[in-house]
Amino acid sequence: MIHAEPSQRLPVHPRSRGMLARFGPSNRKVFPWVLMAPTLIILFGIGIYPFLYSLYIAGHNVILSKPYLPRIFVGLYQYHALIQDPEFWHALRTTLWFTVQAVFIEFWLGLGLALLFQRSLRGASVMRVFILIPMILPPLVAALIWRYMFYPGAGLVTYYAGGITRALGWGEIPFLSDPTIAFQTLIFVDVWEWTPFMFLMLSAGLASIPRQPYEAAEIDGASSWRVFWTITMPLLRPAILIAVVIRTMDAFRTYELIVIMTRGGPGNATTTLNVFLTKTGLEFFDASKAAALSLIMMMIIIVMSFVFIRVFRSRTEAAE
Amino acid sequence: MATIDTTITSPDAPPVQRNGWVYAVIIAVCVVNFLPYLWVVMTGFMDGAAAASRAPQWIFTPTLDAFRYLIFEKGIMSNFMNSLIVALCSTFFSVTIGMFCAYALARYDFIGRDDVSFWVLTNRMMPPVAVLIPIFVIFQTLKLLDTLPGLILLYTAMQLPFVVWMLTGYFRDIPRRYEESAMVDGDTWFQAFRKVTLPLMMPSITATAIFVMILSWNEFAFATFLTSTNAKTMPPAIMAYSIGADIEWNVLGAAVVLITAPLILFVLVMQRQLISGLSQGVVKK
Repeated sequence: MIHAEPSQRLPVHPRSRGMLARFGPSNRKVFPWVLMAPTLIILFGIGIYPFLYSLYIAGHNVILSKPYLPRIFVGLYQYHALIQDPEFWHALRTTLWFTVQAVFIEFWLGLGLALLFQRSLRGASVMRVFILIPMILPPLVAALIWRYMFYPGAGLVTYYAGGITRALGWGEIPFLSDPTIAFQTLIFVDVWEWTPFMFLMLSAGLASIPRQPYEAAEIDGASSWRVFWTITMPLLRPAILIAVVIRTMDAFRTYELIVIMTRGGPGNATTTLNVFLTKTGLEFFDASKAAALSLIMMMIIIVMSFVFIRVFRSRTEAAE
Repeated sequence: MATIDTTITSPDAPPVQRNGWVYAVIIAVCVVNFLPYLWVVMTGFMDGAAAASRAPQWIFTPTLDAFRYLIFEKGIMSNFMNSLIVALCSTFFSVTIGMFCAYALARYDFIGRDDVSFWVLTNRMMPPVAVLIPIFVIFQTLKLLDTLPGLILLYTAMQLPFVVWMLTGYFRDIPRRYEESAMVDGDTWFQAFRKVTLPLMMPSITATAIFVMILSWNEFAFATFLTSTNAKTMPPAIMAYSIGADIEWNVLGAAVVLITAPLILFVLVMQRQLISGLSQGVVKK
């Protein structure tokens, strides 16, 4: 739709006959499918087939530890059972609350940092590398580092924070053993790990905003607060959209962090859908329930990203 | 940096910015972001007693005990090689295959293009644990469990959506008249692609490849459940040193150094491409 016209007039190469004429570059209807075929085949094999298999398993009664049981078709029973399971709702609430808090904090911190880097600073490129370190580390390593930091009797944070709180007579802070505090600790680590990502994406967005609106605002004598809300934020919208969508999808399925730091505990305080899924499928071997759960998760993620894209598109169009 | 000096003298320049607090904030963030990693790296060079002491030992005599233990007694280098092979091969395959798909999506206007593009992206949305069980069963049937080709195939498929998504934006930026003039001069489509489009795309392809390689190197969930001995990569191997009642922190620290060293080296060397590459992708999409 952007640039189709000029190439329609391409001369047909004299050598292209037979197979090449039918599927080759000169056939503009079929050739893109030839180019996409390997990707689509691989994604079909690893994407669609597991999806269909999940649908099949979720419609049956499969317990991995009891393969001798006959597979019975149970219809929508697994979904029904999940919806009536308070554990599921708890996990869903935990996941959503985790995602919303983490992404919200990461967005504003990342935006603040990106705005600070808009000034001309000495050594900006070196400082940028230091800021990006958490995001470059494997998620596994980030989780291990903070598990160590918060480990009772060994970590840096427990030692120094414990020193302060003991002096105040409060005893040690149960970073990972109190349900509420453990949840906030996980959010802290997620923010530590992924604010750099927001920072990077939003910096790139800021760099692409043209200068003219700012010059016009300066002539009008607009306050910097007003400039931020009326010029920077609307023009930054495309970058915000991508950064927030990617982060939301990834925060929603955070795995390593939670499994390594709390294993979903204490109790089930930090059991998100992902952890609940792993426990159901790989600890209790209830493959059918796990498959139904994974399909529900998939639906939630697709709906979420659809809504995001719709909302942002309509707003951007309205702004234009 | 020169701009700071000119702002002072030039009469119509904006007022001089007072940046003192900005430096304070940014340096604080740098410390918070870097110190935990630095501390774990330092732990890797401690001996067992220093690492186990309750009060942090900021001054200590460095030793390579933990590394010796990991390399000679635990044979971690075979996991390292597995990770390296898997990361390199899956990057090569996903970029080579995804490149053509991205090209088709960027250059051709066919029915269902937006649907294909959205469908490719939905493949990235699926949480890995959600497809773990079906993939486990498929791998068991195809005898791919605990093999390097199995992991390479899986990672290639996992990274494809990302590659296609990034490269589609980049291909759109390259004017198609370059290719067309090459084809008018008698080159076939493939020759034009190879001689004109590909060189222009190289910086973007490099940036994408770096990201894909990092993602493959870091992958944890599949590696944990689909490998056991032969094809075990670094992430599950390292997990083993973090569980149990008495964790040897210096061994864990050394393991963290080994898994992150290639990444840090790579990022330091490729810093510019990395940041500019990602920025372009963001701005264009």
